[in-house]
Amino acid sequence: MTVRRVIQLATLGSALLCGAVVLAQTPAPSPKKAVTPKASRTSADKLAAAPQVVTIIHRLNGLKMFRLLLRSEQQVQAIENVDSAFSLMDDVHTNVIAGLAMDDGETIAAWLPEAGVELNAAFPRSPREPKLPRGPVAAFPRMRNGFFEPDITVIGPEGKRVAAKYIGFDAVTGLSILRLTEKNAVPASEIKAEPVNAGEAVLLYSPEPVSRGLGLYARITALEGRIQNVVAAPSGGVARLKVTAPKLSRANIGGVATNEAGDTIGIVDGLEGNEASILPAALIKRAAQRVLAQQSSVPRPWLGVKGEAVAELKLDQILNHGWEMQRAAALAGNHRGIMLTSIVPDSPAAMAALRAGDVILKVDDKDIATAQDFTWWLEQAGPSTSVEFTVARPDKAAEEPVNVKLSWRLDPSFTFNFPNRFTTTRGFSLLEQGIETVALKAPVASQLGTTAGLLVVYVEPQTAASEAGLQAGDVIQSINGKPVSVFKAATQPTFFKFEIVRNKEKLVVTVPVRKNK
Amino acid sequence: MRKNNCEVIRQELDELMLSETGSARVVEHLRECAACREFNEKQTRLRQIVGSLGTVSAPPDFDFRLRARLANDGGGATFHFWPIARRGLAFAAVLLVFVMGALVVRSVFNRPQENKQVAATDQHNNTPAPPTVAPTREPTFARPMAESSPERRPQIVRNERLSRIKRPLVAEDFSNERAPVYNGREPAGTFEVMPLDSSLQSFKVSLDDGRGNARTISVPSISFGSQRMLQPVNQYASKRDW
Repeated sequence: MTVRRVIQLATLGSALLCGAVVLAQTPAPSPKKAVTPKASRTSADKLAAAPQVVTIIHRLNGLKMFRLLLRSEQQVQAIENVDSAFSLMDDVHTNVIAGLAMDDGETIAAWLPEAGVELNAAFPRSPREPKLPRGPVAAFPRMRNGFFEPDITVIGPEGKRVAAKYIGFDAVTGLSILRLTEKNAVPASEIKAEPVNAGEAVLLYSPEPVSRGLGLYARITALEGRIQNVVAAPSGGVARLKVTAPKLSRANIGGVATNEAGDTIGIVDGLEGNEASILPAALIKRAAQRVLAQQSSVPRPWLGVKGEAVAELKLDQILNHGWEMQRAAALAGNHRGIMLTSIVPDSPAAMAALRAGDVILKVDDKDIATAQDFTWWLEQAGPSTSVEFTVARPDKAAEEPVNVKLSWRLDPSFTFNFPNRFTTTRGFSLLEQGIETVALKAPVASQLGTTAGLLVVYVEPQTAASEAGLQAGDVIQSINGKPVSVFKAATQPTFFKFEIVRNKEKLVVTVPVRKNK
Repeated sequence: MRKNNCEVIRQELDELMLSETGSARVVEHLRECAACREFNEKQTRLRQIVGSLGTVSAPPDFDFRLRARLANDGGGATFHFWPIARRGLAFAAVLLVFVMGALVVRSVFNRPQENKQVAATDQHNNTPAPPTVAPTREPTFARPMAESSPERRPQIVRNERLSRIKRPLVAEDFSNERAPVYNGREPAGTFEVMPLDSSLQSFKVSLDDGRGNARTISVPSISFGSQRMLQPVNQYASKRDW
C-alpha cells in the first residue's frame, strides 16, 4: 500500500514538473522580443515634472498639400491622378510635434516643419525692396472658405485638446508662435533663464507613435541626455547648447529640453549625429515677444552675400580673391572677418557696392571672427535696419566704413526655386500676380468635380487677384478668352480675365496686372 | 588605343540620361564603331524598359508602423506580457508541486498513525473495536494568514508538525508582496496616450514633370517631429548665406 502511494506521489510530482518544464519551454506567441526598459528612457516621475510640454497636431488639407508639392524638389507640371477618395478640403497629412507652453498660459512656441505652407510672401519678390511690406509680413490668409486657416490643435499633458491660432513665424529661430483659443487650457510655466553647464543632465521630450490595435496613437516620451557644450553668444548669454543623447532621430527635432527639475532649457532645433542643438529658453522667449509684438511673422535680415570666415580660409583662397601675398598673409594671420565670396545682384550688399573679395571686419564696431558672430550681429540689428560695416578690400590699403540698409526674408525653404518651376503658363507668370497654381489633367479634374485647367492653390492676400475675388480652390479654365493650355502673351496685358469654375459654377474674375519690377 | 577609347565612350554613354544625347565626340565615335553603337542601343532599350516601369510604393501605413515598431523595440517603454507571464507560470507550477507534495506527504504521515492505532487495538482486544474518533488536527501553520506581518518582508513560516520530521519544510509567504504588473500599455508618466484621428491611408498622387515623365509619389499620412514629407527645393541653403 505504502509503495503504491509513493509511486502515485512520484508520478504526480513528475507530471507537474514536466508540465512546468513544458510551460517554461513553450515559445511566446508573438515574435516580439521582451524589451527591458533602457536607461535612456525616463521614469514616470521625471516625465510628470514637465507640464509645460504640450503636443501639437498640425493638419494639412489637399490644397495645402499641392502647395507643398510646388515647393518641393518634385518637379510638378501637372497633377495626373489622385486617390479616388481625395478631396481638396480633406486632411491628407498630420504632423505631431512637441511644443512649449509659455508663462502667459496661452502662447505656445513650436518648431513646426511645415509652417511654410501656412505663410504668404512665397512668390519671389524683388530683392531691391528693402522695406517691409505694409500689413502683416507673413500672416496666414483668412480665406472665406477656410482652406487656409491653419488647422492646429494643442494637447495638454493631461490630454485636453484646444484649438490654436497661428500668430506668426520667427525667421531668426525658425519657431512658430501659436495662441490658444482658450486661456489657461494648459498649465502655465515660468520660462526662467536657468544657468546651464556642460555635463548637466537634460530630458528631451518629443512625441512618438504608439502601437495599439488598429488606431493611431501618440504620446510624449523623453530621452535622457547630457549637455556637452554651451556656446556663448557674442553679446553674452547662451547662443546654443549641444546635448548628446542615445538614439536621437529627426523626430526629436522640435522637442522640448528641460533640466531634471523640470525647468525649460530650450527647444531642439537641429541634429548632427548623436548631438542635438538646443535653442536656449531666453532666445525662445525673445522670439515669442517679437512675434507677439507684431502679431505676425518676423523675417530675418538679409544682406545678399555668401562668404566664409577668414579663419577658415587657406592662403591661396584669399589670394584667389585678388589679395596681394603680404596683405593676404597678414589677413590670414589675424583670423578676423568674413570674406565675401559672392554678391547677389540688386541685393542690399550690391547696392552698397560690396564686392567679392571684401572682408567685413566689424558690424557696428563689433569685431567679427566667425560666421556665427556675423549671423548673430546681423540678427541683433534686425531686418530693414541700417548697419555700418568696417571693410578691408584687396585694392585698398586702409579699412573703409560701408553703410548698408538690410533687407529681409523668411526661410529659404519656403520659397520656390523660381527658374526651375513650371507653374507659369507661357509668356507670363501667375506667380508674379501672387497666384499659385498647378495644372490639373482631365482625369483628376473630373474626380474633383471640375474640368481640366489651372487649380488655384493659393492667392496672396492684399493683391489685385485677392481683391478681385480669386480664391484657392478655383480652377482657371481660360485667360483672356483663351484656354490656359494655349494661352500665350507676347506682351504683358493690362488685365487678366480669368474664367473660373468654383463649386461647379462658372464665374469670371478680372484682375489688373501687377507690373514686373 | 581603340579599346581604351571605346571604354571611355561607353563610360560616358553609361552616364547619359534617357532623353540626353552624348557629346560630339560620342556621336562621332558611334558613327564609326559598330560595337559601341550596339552597346548604346542596348543601354537605351534598358533605360526605356526601366523608365516604363511604374513606381513601387510602400504600403500606406508602412512609415507609421515602422516608426511604431522602432519606438517599441528601442524605447522599452512597453513590456511584453508573455515572457514575464511564462516565467511566473513556471514558478507557480513549481510552487504548486511543492505545495501538493507537502499536502500529500502530510496525509501520508497522518494515515499510517491511524492505521497503526487500529492495528494495535486489534492486537490487544482481538475484537472489533468501536470506531475511534480521530484527534482534531492542529493548525498547520503557526500563525494564520490574516495575522501575517504587514511588512513587505517575506515571512518564514515553520510547519510545527513537519518540523518533527527529519527534513523540515520551510515555505516563504509572498502574500503581502504586491508585484508590479506590466502589460505594455501604460502611459509614460502623466502624459496620456493620445488617439490621433488620422487616416492610415497615405496620399498618393501622380505627377507630370512637363517633360513627358509621369510618376506617382506617396506621402505618409502622419509624421513626427521635424520629419518633412517632401523635401523643399531650397533645403540645402548654405549657412554661409546672409
